[in-house]
Amino acid sequence: MTRKLTKKYLWLPLLLCLSFPLGVLAMENEDCLGCHNDRDSVGEELFIDAQIFDHTVHAALGCVACHESVTEEHPDDGLSPSKAVCLDCHSEVNDEYAGSVHAENASCGDCHNPHQVRGLADVSGHDLNQQCAACHDGAEMVQQHAVWLTQADLHLAMLPCISCHTASEENQIVLYIIQKESDAVFGDFVLSEHADLQQLAGEKAPQRLIDLNGDSFISLTELRTFHRKPANQNLRLQATLMPKEVTHRVDIRDNRYDCSFCHAAGPESMQTSVLALPTAAGSYQRFEVERGAVLDALYGTPDFYMMGTTRSASLNILGLLIIIGGTLMPLGHGALRFLTRKNRSQKGE
Amino acid sequence: MADKKQIYLQPKPVRIWHWLNALGIVTLCVSGAQIRFPEYISLLGDYRAVIKLHNTAGFVVAISFSIWFFYYTLVARNMGKIYLPSRDDLENGLLRQAKFYFLTYFLGWDNPHHPTPEDKFNPLQKSAYLAIMFVLVPLVSLTGILLTNVAPLRSLIVMIGGLKILVGLHFLLACSLCAFLFTHVYLATLGSSPLAHFKPMWTGWEEVEEHDEAAASH
Ligand code: HEC
Ligand code: HEC
Ligand code: HEC
Ligand code: HEC
Ligand code: HEC
Ligand code: HEC
Repeated sequence: MTRKLTKKYLWLPLLLCLSFPLGVLAMENEDCLGCHNDRDSVGEELFIDAQIFDHTVHAALGCVACHESVTEEHPDDGLSPSKAVCLDCHSEVNDEYAGSVHAENASCGDCHNPHQVRGLADVSGHDLNQQCAACHDGAEMVQQHAVWLTQADLHLAMLPCISCHTASEENQIVLYIIQKESDAVFGDFVLSEHADLQQLAGEKAPQRLIDLNGDSFISLTELRTFHRKPANQNLRLQATLMPKEVTHRVDIRDNRYDCSFCHAAGPESMQTSVLALPTAAGSYQRFEVERGAVLDALYGTPDFYMMGTTRSASLNILGLLIIIGGTLMPLGHGALRFLTRKNRSQKGE
Repeated sequence: MADKKQIYLQPKPVRIWHWLNALGIVTLCVSGAQIRFPEYISLLGDYRAVIKLHNTAGFVVAISFSIWFFYYTLVARNMGKIYLPSRDDLENGLLRQAKFYFLTYFLGWDNPHHPTPEDKFNPLQKSAYLAIMFVLVPLVSLTGILLTNVAPLRSLIVMIGGLKILVGLHFLLACSLCAFLFTHVYLATLGSSPLAHFKPMWTGWEEVEEHDEAAASH
């Protein structure tokens, strides 16, 4: 869907850019933000965070595209500017949205802030679940899912809700950097922010903390080095599973009820992973990671293990050897015992 | 022919523990194999069922381990005597017993060790059970407990080195226990008759030969 949508709607910003002289458009955004990016002049309710807005795809549309009725006199005219309806531009979402339980229960604005829209690749699993948590209380959800889901607390903490409540056929493993909240030996981990990583990286771009050679591709060796480096002691990679495509259907999927949808070796989607690093604008940038091996290697991602999925081949072999070792004694001894049975039967055994 | 005499070798709590443990560990091995290799093994139903079974069996083994531990330390108070190899065991016993199993047994000689309630295990058994009951089982249980509580115990798991190390350890320990099972069952058939050693673990009573002065005088 994402691909098609992008193509289908590319003309929109283009058209808008053509119908306004570029300079005016930029001016307009800046004009509006002159007041609306200033808490003191408009107050918390009407505050628009320019830092975030400027990095959204909506910024290219310009404020006026969605607030068409705003006048030269605003705000002195006392009129409330019009607000665009999302579906006017995003009709493709409607098919799915209208068929979901949320059509009656949650509007676009309940999950999206029009001034902070992000694509799926730009948000963390944590952010995604915040959207849902506004209505679906976290503790209550753990309780409801625990009826059938072992370690529901773990699943819901590590997975975006939409990994299971989605119509997307494919999934992808996404790695994030997390860090200890404090220096205490025994501490909780939180998602690292751009500033944290920038501080550690010093002069270089934060991606170079992992991507040592700067080729924007993360190899197994680079991951291992990252985890072994003492300076990174408080950093870890955390992995989650995300759908590849956004859908607005959240109906309960039968195949998610079946654990082996995820817990089985083989699904292609489990072999590809990306590293998502926070950007200064508060979104995420993704980097391709070496296929497959990452998940299997002990120090590639020491904290990511999915039962039945990411088992290590070398450990399997070692385990098998141990078990075979256990059968050698019975087999060898048993054979000799059989051959020498006469010695004992003479004793009346 | 020497006379036969019955001795009470395995008290009831020990027998209950043993069979609970046996059932538990076999279940754990099979369900564990299915959990690790779901696309090859599907003996015990779907994944959700097998996880539940594995966790329950793990719980049962932990409980039965406690029965065993408290029986020997608090009720019978002979844990040390039974499970700790003595100096003589280490210096001579191990070799003597190994020689029996791997050489003189085939020649038809008698087992140099004669079990009594206070000295149930031969030196080799003592050392093996010591490793199993004091290292293998506790470690595999401990890693299992961590693995069933990943979210609340995350910090601890990170301290240990991560989920993967923990899972790897759990897996290798489990393989070792499984390997031990084969040897254990086989060695149990080396009694005066193939089933001779199984009987006392079921009824408590072992039949020993009267001519055996060492055992009788204990
Ligand atoms: C001089 C400062 C200023 C500028 C420039 C400005 N606004 Fe406003 N805006 C305000 C104030 C103050 C209000 C609150 C008015 C009220 O409550 O009557 C407001 C209200 C709004 C609202 C309505 C909020 C609601 O309650 O529904 C919208 C939408 C809006 N502005 C959009 C814009 C856009 C788009 C631009 C740029 C074209 C813009 N504003 C430029 C100060 C400004
Ligand atoms: C993609 C369309 C879109 C763009 C672009 C857009 N807005 Fe909005 N804006 C909306 C919608 C829709 C609402 C109503 C939100 C609601 O009711 O929850 C809104 C609400 C507002 C409000 C009311 C406060 C609030 O957050 O609900 C203000 C003020 C505002 N916009 C200002 C701006 C300014 C300034 C810009 C440009 C910097 C801008 N908007 C760009 C769609 C847009
Ligand atoms: C004037 C047309 C217009 C309106 C109105 C509009 N959008 Fe968009 N929106 C776009 C365009 C164009 C894109 C970029 C298309 C793309 O990349 O797929 C976009 C992208 C998005 C994205 C994806 C962001 C990303 O980075 O991939 C989201 C989410 C989104 N819009 C939500 C909304 C919501 C919610 C509303 C209503 C509050 C809304 N839009 C209203 C035109 C609009
Ligand atoms: C229950 C919450 C929810 C509701 C309600 C909702 N969305 Fe979304 N939407 C999401 C999530 C989650 C994503 C994926 C993450 C993201 O892009 O923020 C998303 C993504 C999008 C995208 C980006 C799609 C892409 O391919 O990148 C668009 C556009 C969008 N939504 C539009 C809408 C519109 C229009 C509505 C109202 C008709 C709406 N959404 C209602 C949760 C919701
Ligand atoms: C504005 C509030 C709101 C938000 C935000 C919201 N939901 Fe809902 N959701 C509801 C309501 C209300 C229902 C219907 C509740 C019911 O029937 O028990 C519902 C129902 C559901 C259901 C049950 C569907 C079914 O077929 O029974 C799922 C699954 C769900 N939501 C997932 C999500 C996810 C995932 C998100 C975040 C992307 C989300 N919701 C965000 C309000 C919300
Ligand atoms: C591991 C996959 C998975 C994840 C992750 C997940 N769910 Fe679910 N969820 C399900 C399944 C499967 C059901 C249906 C359970 C059933 O049939 O009882 C369900 C049921 C629901 C329901 C309906 C409950 C009911 O009893 O009607 C809601 C609401 C819901 N989920 C919301 C969420 C939210 C919010 C999140 C994120 C915090 C989330 N889910 C995460 C798989 C998941």
